Amino acid sequence: MLRDATAARVPVVTYGAGSGVCGGARGRPGEWVLDTKALDQLGPLDRERWSVRAGAGVNGQQLEDWLQARGFTLGHSPSSIACSTVGGWAAARSAGQFSSKYGVFEDMVLGLEGVAPSTGPFRVGAGGDRPAEWLELLLGSEGTLAVLTEVEMRVWPTPAARVLGGWEMPDLPTALGVMRELMQGELHPSVVRLYDPVDTRIGGRTRPKTDGSTDGAARRFVARWLASVDRLDPVHRNSLVLPLGLPRLVNGLLDRVARGCLLIVGWEGDAAVVDAASRAGHQLLDAAGAALGPDPGQRWYASRHAVSYKLMPVFERGGFADTMEVAGRWSVLEAAYHAIRGALGRTAVVMAHVSHVYPEGACIYFSFAGRGDRSVYAETWRSALDAAVRVGVTVAHHHGIGESKVEAATREVGPAVEVWRALKAELDPAGILNPGRLFGPPSHEAPSVVADAPTDGLGPGGEAMWPFEPGELPARWHRSPWQTPWIEVAGTWAGRPFRLGRGPRSAVGPDLRGAVARAPDVVITRATAAPGPRWMGEGRPEAPWAVARALLASDLRPAVLGVRDGVLRVGFRGPAAAAFGAIASARVPGGLVERPYAPEPLPAGPLRWTTDDDPAAVGVTAQGVFRRAT
Amino acid sequence: MTPFDTCALCPRLCRDRCPVATGAAWEAAVPAQIAAVARGWSVAPDTTPEALAREAVTACVDCGACRDACHLHRPLPEALRELRRQIAPGPPPEPLRPIEGGPAEWVAIEADERPLAAALSRVSGRPVGRWVTHDRLGVNGIESPSWTEHARSLRERAVGLRLATVDGGVMRALAQAGVSADWANEWVGRPAEGIGSCVTGGERPLGCCGGAPPLVWAHPEHAARVGRSFVRRAGGAVVADGRCRDHLRRAGVDVDDWLDRWLAGDR
Repeated sequence: MLRDATAARVPVVTYGAGSGVCGGARGRPGEWVLDTKALDQLGPLDRERWSVRAGAGVNGQQLEDWLQARGFTLGHSPSSIACSTVGGWAAARSAGQFSSKYGVFEDMVLGLEGVAPSTGPFRVGAGGDRPAEWLELLLGSEGTLAVLTEVEMRVWPTPAARVLGGWEMPDLPTALGVMRELMQGELHPSVVRLYDPVDTRIGGRTRPKTDGSTDGAARRFVARWLASVDRLDPVHRNSLVLPLGLPRLVNGLLDRVARGCLLIVGWEGDAAVVDAASRAGHQLLDAAGAALGPDPGQRWYASRHAVSYKLMPVFERGGFADTMEVAGRWSVLEAAYHAIRGALGRTAVVMAHVSHVYPEGACIYFSFAGRGDRSVYAETWRSALDAAVRVGVTVAHHHGIGESKVEAATREVGPAVEVWRALKAELDPAGILNPGRLFGPPSHEAPSVVADAPTDGLGPGGEAMWPFEPGELPARWHRSPWQTPWIEVAGTWAGRPFRLGRGPRSAVGPDLRGAVARAPDVVITRATAAPGPRWMGEGRPEAPWAVARALLASDLRPAVLGVRDGVLRVGFRGPAAAAFGAIASARVPGGLVERPYAPEPLPAGPLRWTTDDDPAAVGVTAQGVFRRAT
Repeated sequence: MTPFDTCALCPRLCRDRCPVATGAAWEAAVPAQIAAVARGWSVAPDTTPEALAREAVTACVDCGACRDACHLHRPLPEALRELRRQIAPGPPPEPLRPIEGGPAEWVAIEADERPLAAALSRVSGRPVGRWVTHDRLGVNGIESPSWTEHARSLRERAVGLRLATVDGGVMRALAQAGVSADWANEWVGRPAEGIGSCVTGGERPLGCCGGAPPLVWAHPEHAARVGRSFVRRAGGAVVADGRCRDHLRRAGVDVDDWLDRWLAGDR
């Protein structure tokens, strides 16, 4: 099909399940839409390596059901899980509700198979025969570089324990502060969700339910509501959206009545690890806010895929509703929240939540609704994106770029867009793949470096959080999902300045950081570990690499894990370091003897899989042990 | 407002519950997409041709999974049934054939070549009448104008009879007419495996019934894909339901039919 399309110069739009909200997979007149859903191969599941292969068209919920029936989980749970595909997750760099534990989707990918007009079928990543950096560039490429056909992913055992709780935080800065502590303290919560005061107020999530609402009750309520709308005359029906036409007034009123933020935090996985992590986490949370018990978290979990059902009547009465997500480093997050909320609030009623957090920052997700024609809607978007670029956050986190963010995304990456453009010229020389999406022509007017660019990593510490050997960006499948080597890469490309890494993922389309790191004047900002408790132990078990892998498989996430001269070294950081150390010591045959903490660099590669007993092994993930490839 | 108007544009939870959309990997069969087309045809027929609407509404097998998955619990299957009556009613049912085998209270309905009545009579030791149908008692025409009259004939014919079948299509036609019947295995103590249970297991079971109307007569290629996909998910097919067996064989799937073996021993 790609050969024919190339010959005929017909654009091809790859389509999964159509959940994208930025217009990236929408066919236009004269284009071919390539529906991937028939690429529905599920498996094989490698129970030894903890990995699974799936066709690009496999529905997300069906993949998760299939894995859970076999005792595993992908750990990826986007709200769109029932209406999105594996290929779409890779193409748009999806993020799920448990991203702070399992990572976002690109962290789960071990390898990709795809087809490009100039190459035919290919594979990248583990076992691939193409340049390592292709994987970073294909993830998030939104159908502009190749058609993805299969994805190989990490999987985890279904969690044995889950703890969820809610806290009422007095204000946004306090809440953001404790979220940062949780992540930088390496407590690896599975869920961290902060609702701003308006969302907290509207959602009513801080109030425990007292009516024991059942599915039947909900069904009756919906039926009654719809029936009442049916009976309204047209004038009164239109009153449904009247408040949306007065956004400044409504936002102001909400600001007056809304106080406090709901923060939901949870842990899941191995019971002992969950217990140790949640104990340390609860101490931080209890000191910052008022504990509300498990109810808010359990209510969120039970309804985590529920969505609003009132959109159609709103649209039909001249209203609009949408969402916009950005991501930024902790140092700019509060300013970004106010700047973007202010921009949106001129034409829409706004609320926000923060649901994907990282050691270096977080994603803010704005929900907004207003009233007006397309020009009002477009102006709402334009002013919000402008504010995002100006304040120094990424203009996308997990919704992708599509059509609606092309201009802002192109401005944000600046001259680094040439990296993507070069690979596109190689893979798709006729330019048939999803034209006009992702990136546009390079902008020579817009600033690619903001004036108030944050310069921090993770704050003071001195110890690189994941010190890899110097060199190229380590390939994704060489490292565990939580091992983020770089935050920011800045320099000049083609004579123009760039700064990538405004958000924790550098998630505006493909991750271009590895490719532009070759620039001669590049400055790389690495994440540094927060100061605080440390624990390290050494042991001499038989088959130490196998034991190291078993520790990862048992849900521990040591900051230091390696074998030198037959000695296994395991180190932890953060408030639960000693507790994690005790768990690790109990799980290592012969135990671990405590030693002074000392960080160690991880191998950057190139690496390849090897056996647990290979004396030349240099690194390990839950998927297996590595040796150097050359 | 109709269910077509109030589709919530939600993440389309119906998408992965619909056996047709999922099994055939067919975007146009996603219930939300069907609702969008149906709505387009209802409110702006100049932009949505009737042929497109007909194609959409005949992609439904009326299993109800989309209604169960819907946050609004909107009765989309019922609304589509009504729409099919208008634009895709299906072929009219054939006239009912007489029951063979003299006056018998127990009657086996044979929808394929298998001698069900004789086999049941031999095993049960009682006379069993034989009621042959070549169109599964008209199941394809449930939404046709003549169905009401046909259903009345079915009810009259069934008075005083105990009916048994191994065919899902026959069973649905009878149920639609308000006539109760037994699966044949219940008469002779055979296992129920492979009869009337075309659903994969797990917390979120997924159905099949690619052999059901109107899909099977309106979109036979997609119907075949639904069957193949189901068998792949289920890891094999143990089938006794005659409609299912016929459908899967048309789709090129090897099926293990215990009833065939059992009946063969009674020939």
